[in-house]
Parts: sequence; structure tokens; C-alpha cells
Amino acid sequence: MLRAAIATSPDGAGDERALIALAAVGDRAASRALYDRHAARVHRLAYRVCGDPDLAEDLTQEVFVKVFRSLGQFRGESAFSTWVHRIAVTVSLNAMRKVKRLREREADLDEAHQHEFEPDAIDPDLRARLAAAIEALPDGVRIALVMHAIEGYTHAEIGQALGIAEGTSKAKVFDARARLKKSLGDFLEERS
Amino acid sequence: MMDDNKLDELLADAQRSHRAPPVAPLDAIWSRVEAEVFAVQPHRNRPSWRVFAGAIAATLVFGVLIGRASAARDISLPFATKTAATPAQLASTSAAAPYQRTMQEFLGSTAVLIAALPANGRPGTNDTKLTEQARALLGTARLLLDSPVGKDQRTKDLLEDLELVLAQVARLQSQRPGEALTMINEALEERDVVPRIRTAVAGLSISDY
Repeated sequence: MLRAAIATSPDGAGDERALIALAAVGDRAASRALYDRHAARVHRLAYRVCGDPDLAEDLTQEVFVKVFRSLGQFRGESAFSTWVHRIAVTVSLNAMRKVKRLREREADLDEAHQHEFEPDAIDPDLRARLAAAIEALPDGVRIALVMHAIEGYTHAEIGQALGIAEGTSKAKVFDARARLKKSLGDFLEERS
Repeated sequence: MMDDNKLDELLADAQRSHRAPPVAPLDAIWSRVEAEVFAVQPHRNRPSWRVFAGAIAATLVFGVLIGRASAARDISLPFATKTAATPAQLASTSAAAPYQRTMQEFLGSTAVLIAALPANGRPGTNDTKLTEQARALLGTARLLLDSPVGKDQRTKDLLEDLELVLAQVARLQSQRPGEALTMINEALEERDVVPRIRTAVAGLSISDY
């Protein structure tokens, strides 16, 4: 009956605590319901960070294995989604530090994406240069930029996910933008 | 140096062009998660009391939500549709109602705390929070024992047992945590504490709704 009530809940938010309580004691249906709510966004973030489809799947799997194994430690002090994304960011960054070869693959992937998107108002060379400049950013700065400017996270969400103050998140994005403007400005100057 | 507007334009484009995520095979990933998380389940002859504690906690969360929804609905019902009660019954019900709600919340919070206790006598990372919560709940248990709900003998026995368990959890930091946790877990098992919480919750739910 409880599960039926969860399944038919109209807003999908008020029942999350019940789902978490059930999942914490090993209920598969509740765990699956939580997974369904958050997996797509975690996968998107993992892919944006690593740029490799297979690795993004592995990372998503690893994130949710960690989530369900440590659900007993979730105290509800932050939103469940924030807690999940904090794990996602940690898992993704750790994986990126371990997988050195990805740097080589990234160039191919970026090239492939240039072909996927037909040229419009954006100069393809500039687009490629932006991708390279983003990859060249330091990890903490890059992930803040990707989360904010590309995935649309708020600074509060980024702060909680990265374990930093909201103001620090703003500063990182500001820093990233300054570096990108410099790099892309240099590129445009060289070309002209 | 590039200007902000041009950079914004490029970043907006990057939302779809920079590593645009492929369609995620979420069902396949779930199968792998499920295999890893749920595959190795230790064989048990009887369900763990943690399962019951978690289920009770979840049921209470829902019970409170449903109760609130029902209460909101009741306000709009004409009085004539309600069952008539004697003045003595009304007085008795209205006097006990706040304590019953407190009792319900207390049982829910205690069930959550019991479910969160580290298994196998191993100290956990949240022991400090557990002890703080246990201290707060201990105060509530003592207040409830002196309240009208504590006059019922079965409720009183349950509250006294929970008082003991909460006192042990509250002292986790000052004891050897591993040993203390083993004792708490054994006490919970021996005294059938969790099934008794479940029975008490069911009783409260019937009297409430």
C-alpha cells in the first residue's frame, strides 16, 4: 500500500523521504524510484566531465552504488539531490584523475562533436578552441564552469556539491570566464 | 580579450555542442547497480529488525502526510456528517490528542534512529549525531512517561524500554562504542522493541484516523 501511494504521489517531492527510508533498508522498488528521479542528471554531469560514453555509464553506476550503500549516512541536512550530486562530482573528478588516457580521447571526441553539429552562427574553429580552452582549465574551475554555464546548476547547488561556499563557486566561474576570454581573444587575434 | 557577450554566446552554444550527452541507457545501468548493491544479501532466518524499523519510519512519514491531508479535508465537512460523541469522550480525546501526536512523532524518530544505528557493533561516522538525537528523544520519552499516554501499561512498558535503549545510545561516545552497540542491538532483539513499536504505531493510527 505504501509503495502504491508512492507510485501515485502527484508531486513526487513530498514522498522522497519515505522512499529514502525504504531504500535505506534495502527496498529495491524504492531504490529504483530514487534512481529514476536522479540518474539522468547524474549521467549528464558525468558525461560532461569525462566526455566518454562508456566511462559516463560506469561513473553513473558507481555513483548509485555509493548512494545506496551509504544511504544510512544521509541525514537529510541537505536536499537528497544535492547529496547525490556531491557524490557524483567526487566520483567523476576522482575517475578523471585516474584515467590519464582520456586526455588523448577528448581531442577525438571534440572533433566528432564538431561534425555532429552543423555550423550555424558559431565559427567551428572558435567552437573547437572553446572546447580545448575548457579542457585546459584546472579541475575545480572547470567543473564549476561546466555545472553553471553548461548544465545550469545554481551557485548554491555547486557550492554544496563541491563542498565550497556559494561565493567561492561564483569566483571560480568568474576565473574560468576570464581565462576563456583571454584564451579565445588570443586565438582571434592570431587568426586576424 | 573577448567580450562577455560573445563568450555568453559561445557558452550557450556549448550547452548543446560541448560533449552533448548521449541518451543514457538508464535501464542497463540500473541492472548493474542492482546486481552490485542487492546481489550479496546475507542469509537470514528472520527479517532484520532494521527492516521493520525503516518500514515503520516510512509508514509514519506517510501517516503524518495522510493525516494532515485528512485534517485539511475535515475542516470543510459539515459537522452533521461526523459521528456524535459525548462531552466526556470529547474532553478525553482532546486532552490526549497532543500527547498522541507527540507519541507518534517520538516513535517515528526513534524508529529512524534505530534504523540508523551501525550494524554489527561497528562504530559509524555519525555516532555523535546519533547520541545528540538520542539525548533529545530521551527527554521526550520521560515527558511521555509522565503524560496521559504513559498511563496505559503496554505503552508505559514500551516507553521504559525505549528510554533504556536511548540512554545507551546517548552514552555511546563515553563508552567503548563497539561493545555498547552490540549490547544495544542485543537488547533491541531480546525485548522485541521494534515489533512493539510497530504495534504501538498501528494502535495510534487506528485511534487517530
